Amino acid sequence: MLLEASELRKSFGGVVAVDGASFEVAEGSITGLIGPNGAGKTTAFNLISGFLRADAGAVRFAGSRIERWRGDRIARAGLVRVFQTPRVLTKMTVLENVMLAAKNQLGEGLFLALAAHARVAKREREVRERALATIETLGLTHLVDAFAGTLSGGQRKLVELGRALMAEPRMILLDEPMAGVAPVLAEQLLDHIRKLRVEHGVTMLVIEHDMDVVMTISDRIIVMDEGRVIADGLPDEIQRNERVIEAYLGRLDSKAAEA
Amino acid sequence: MALGLYVQYSLAGLPNFGHVAFMAVAAYGMAILVVRFEAPLLLAAVGGLLAAVFLAIVMGAPALRLRADYLAIATVAGGEIVRYLALNLSDITGGPIGSIGMLGPGQIAIFNGGWQALLDRISGSVAALVGRSPSRDAVMATIVWASLLLLIALFHFLERSPWGRVLRGIREDEIAVVAAGKNVVAFKMQALILGAILGGLSGLLLAWEIGVFSPMDFLPTLTFYAYLILILGGVNRIWAIPLGAFLFSLLYSGTRFLNFFPLSLFDSGSRAFLRLFLVGLLLVLFMAFRPQGILGDRRQLLLEK
Repeated sequence: MLLEASELRKSFGGVVAVDGASFEVAEGSITGLIGPNGAGKTTAFNLISGFLRADAGAVRFAGSRIERWRGDRIARAGLVRVFQTPRVLTKMTVLENVMLAAKNQLGEGLFLALAAHARVAKREREVRERALATIETLGLTHLVDAFAGTLSGGQRKLVELGRALMAEPRMILLDEPMAGVAPVLAEQLLDHIRKLRVEHGVTMLVIEHDMDVVMTISDRIIVMDEGRVIADGLPDEIQRNERVIEAYLGRLDSKAAEA
Repeated sequence: MALGLYVQYSLAGLPNFGHVAFMAVAAYGMAILVVRFEAPLLLAAVGGLLAAVFLAIVMGAPALRLRADYLAIATVAGGEIVRYLALNLSDITGGPIGSIGMLGPGQIAIFNGGWQALLDRISGSVAALVGRSPSRDAVMATIVWASLLLLIALFHFLERSPWGRVLRGIREDEIAVVAAGKNVVAFKMQALILGAILGGLSGLLLAWEIGVFSPMDFLPTLTFYAYLILILGGVNRIWAIPLGAFLFSLLYSGTRFLNFFPLSLFDSGSRAFLRLFLVGLLLVLFMAFRPQGILGDRRQLLLEK
């Protein structure tokens, strides 16, 4: 297992957001993480990626215990997250946004930026080329020099995905990749997610509310409710699981009935 | 000095309203070393800058974890703490009467002999070349502007380096930069220290220029003057700093001579207050009608987060 979370717990004041959740993600898989609003999915992401510290529990990634690591260290270790509302750097260009995440750029050391100019410039050319290639696969070549703040929501998501790819991830955490994306771009985004797994062997854990999307792209699905994992299985099994229907789909039905 | 703020604020998005503290610490550090330990001027200058760096680390360690607005408050406090320390530790700093009182009554402390000698030498060699001896102020101004342009060129280069890219990223969205695998706190600390060195440098230049300084020379207003320079020139434009500085001195000194009608209706005492009022008004108008500064790019400012 590439990622193992065990007995994760996190509360904010009196509210228990994640209440002893345990789950695993297999290397090379696309795993869906679903559950009703407030189930603790995004909090679980924050705990895994080091943006929040768990009250209790352990996270193991590629053999290391990472639950006490800072977010940037986890990202450098190859576990990169993409946010629900894309966090692009609006006043920087698309190219700069993607280049930012490059690894091993000596020039980020203040003194090396000045002292080792030739080496920095050489690495910078490599980084630039890789960033341009990434941007091309995402179909954003025409926007390379545009400020990221001028892009649409869906394009921003692509830019952020590009930035995640630039960090050479082994695993990507995707938080609602399809939310707020125009249908045409959503189709593209799905393709990219599938291609990433096939071509780069990137493992993915995806939070998604669109059931059709989750059921088609996921190898396995984890269901959370009220901070706990209530089911874990193949898409078919999940669709037939009584508890899931009760806790999640059931609620959707009653909502639909009300409407 | 404005350049120091540029690194901290424009590049890394750290609002530091206590920048003047770095100037004060460097100036005092230098003067104390020269006067009390008879250190050579260059060594004392380096010592003063080290003191500023030390202050940056001490101030930064807790403060950088704060959100931007709280950081701003903490830095104002930090700046004032330094000034009050200088006021009240009169044994070391000379207290309210300033550097002249460092050695106690009866002895006048002089720390800038070496600097004056240097200025005189430069003036002398220019005189040998051109045949006319420039005034000390002219030499001083040349040194200040030359070092400013040199430093700006250096930071222009740094801003475009990968290091600058990470800092600009932090200004936009820290969390995104963490997600990209960069140690944000370390980068912010570097920016703060660099800013401190630049602030310290300007403190040294100020101390050498005016010769005798006291805690009253390092009022928080000075920090705001530096922000004024940044805003006038254009917040995110490094080459706008010299322009901003030029405009600022035009405003600041030029408004002294506003004694024509209708301003001549006031006596000179109230005119002095009116002058500061006018400078403030101008700044407000500037922010309202051209928030990007003179060289700024309005489109960049309008981009939503």
